[in-house]
Amino acid sequence: MTPAQLHLDLDNKLATASGSWRLIQLDKIETAAPNATEANPSSPVVLDGGQIDNLDPSGAYCLISRLAARGIAPEAVQTAGFSSQHQAIFDLVREHYPASLRQNETPLWQRGRALLRRLQQVERFMLESVRLIGVLGTETAQLLRHPGRFRYREFTNQIEAVFVSAIPLIALMMFLLGIVFAYLLGHQAIQYGANIFVVDGTTLAVCRELSPVLVAILVAGRSGSAITAQIGTMKFDEELDALRVMGLSPYQVLIIPRILALVCTLPLLVFVGDITGILGSMLVASRQLGIQPAEFITRMMSELDLPTVIIGLSKAPIFALFIGLIASEGGLHVEHSARSIGASTTVTVVRSIVAVIGINALIAITLVRLDI
Amino acid sequence: MPATDTVTAARPIVVETRHIVTRLGKQTIHQGVSLSVRQGEIAALIGGSGTGKSVLLKVLCGLLRPADGSARLFDTDIWVTDSETRQMVRQRFGMLFQDGALFSSLTVEQNIAAPLREHTRLSTAACLRLARLKLSMVGLEASAARKMPDELSGGMRKRAALARALALDPELLFLDEPTSGLDPVSARSFDQLLRTLRDNLGLTVLLITHDLDSLLALADQVIVLAQGKVLGSGTLPEIQQLQDPWLKAYFSSHPASHTPPTSTPEDTHGQ
Repeated sequence: MTPAQLHLDLDNKLATASGSWRLIQLDKIETAAPNATEANPSSPVVLDGGQIDNLDPSGAYCLISRLAARGIAPEAVQTAGFSSQHQAIFDLVREHYPASLRQNETPLWQRGRALLRRLQQVERFMLESVRLIGVLGTETAQLLRHPGRFRYREFTNQIEAVFVSAIPLIALMMFLLGIVFAYLLGHQAIQYGANIFVVDGTTLAVCRELSPVLVAILVAGRSGSAITAQIGTMKFDEELDALRVMGLSPYQVLIIPRILALVCTLPLLVFVGDITGILGSMLVASRQLGIQPAEFITRMMSELDLPTVIIGLSKAPIFALFIGLIASEGGLHVEHSARSIGASTTVTVVRSIVAVIGINALIAITLVRLDI
Repeated sequence: MPATDTVTAARPIVVETRHIVTRLGKQTIHQGVSLSVRQGEIAALIGGSGTGKSVLLKVLCGLLRPADGSARLFDTDIWVTDSETRQMVRQRFGMLFQDGALFSSLTVEQNIAAPLREHTRLSTAACLRLARLKLSMVGLEASAARKMPDELSGGMRKRAALARALALDPELLFLDEPTSGLDPVSARSFDQLLRTLRDNLGLTVLLITHDLDSLLALADQVIVLAQGKVLGSGTLPEIQQLQDPWLKAYFSSHPASHTPPTSTPEDTHGQ
């Protein structure tokens, strides 16, 4: 195949194109701005296409771009000698040529747009959260006035999903964590003969910090994501709108039972975590440090006071409330694409974990200031 | 632009299948499908649901290997030839999927530039220019180019997907239900667009459709699939002569189909 060639004779206002102008043979398209010193764009130039063998839209585009780069505007081109098929393609491309000329975005512009989009997302998240809290407040008030409307079945189903089926996972994770924590602590303590203090260290740490935070993180990953995915799928399939049309409130039917189930059961899960964490460290204590279980329990009874355990347990409902709110907001936020369900679920997990760790830090500092 | 019979007969055959047999699991979908489409022709594949129209399209575009028979595109049997030749053939046809199948992580213009960046030596800037040219050709406004696919309406998504199918300047287009899910106005203007592109670019089109209006407005050749075979193929009046209960019910569902296609009111909506 003959290569694409363009011969310009600017004195006679004549251009001759020949050869094969096809996409697969192109390796360059002129994207430079026209040179102002060259041909006068308003005076017509005759383009002879009689010797063109092949022409496809991209080839025609390349041809027009090359002429434009030499200062010949597409509308100033008069065609001659084209075959009717080539003429049709050339005219179609020439008609749409201006639409292709928008500047490509520079990387800086792209970054700026991404940043703006991110800021808009944050703004929207905050507005939506405030709105959600308001709506949930009024819906809860309505439920309190009409307790009969509460969805007990949904509530118990959620308790099963969030609590009962999570027990094995939580128990195993906290047991392993208790083992590792006691082992590392014991490894140091044994050098000073401070074996018995391992009991103090592990029980305090597990009950006050480790169990509440880690169980909350596990629940955020396990149940928070599930709530977002469920509600998001329902939003996507317009099930939420179907509920509203039937005169039911999706908040009362779906969201409040889920949040309530989380708030009620997270303390229980933390308690499960406390017990298994302590059992794990008890195992290490007897194997590595020679502290028998009876001795471990006696020491624990004298050192681990009730307020510590209660502080640990009472952090759980706060975490649960935030996980529930974040997860519900994520689900309600889903847009009209399957992709956004996945994106919302990821965002829910990240936000919940950040919220849990942040709130925990806030509570820890407050309690230290209050000397508790 | 229905070409006269003598001219069409002289044109080369672009799509040809012979005795295609396909099985999905134990189920036999096709029991010997033979059809041919000539260059510049718009052929419509019709048939009840479950007759294997979409499966046939998958066989033709190289996604599903038939159990028997040959599928030839541009005189190359795509299931016999080596992978390099098949790759060459692939660049000569475009496929429009039913729901667009635009890549959701890319903007519209990046979607259309994607095949160009893969298969040509052009710079990114040039690919994006060609992408915007194609977008304009399918009647999308410049503002749509930087949007994400999920920000587009159904009709715009179909157009964007058509622009991507046209990105490599194919000679052949496969369309899977191009007007499904569109409102009648958008559907008619999509038909109009296909016709314009076919007339200007000399495309060959094989489309699946349930839309009788599209059939009336576009099809030079109608191919009817039933019971895993081609029940009949020909111009619309010829197909309407066939004695088949499903076809009778299909055509009687639309009053305009009783008149010849040339007398249907022209679509005035355009773009």
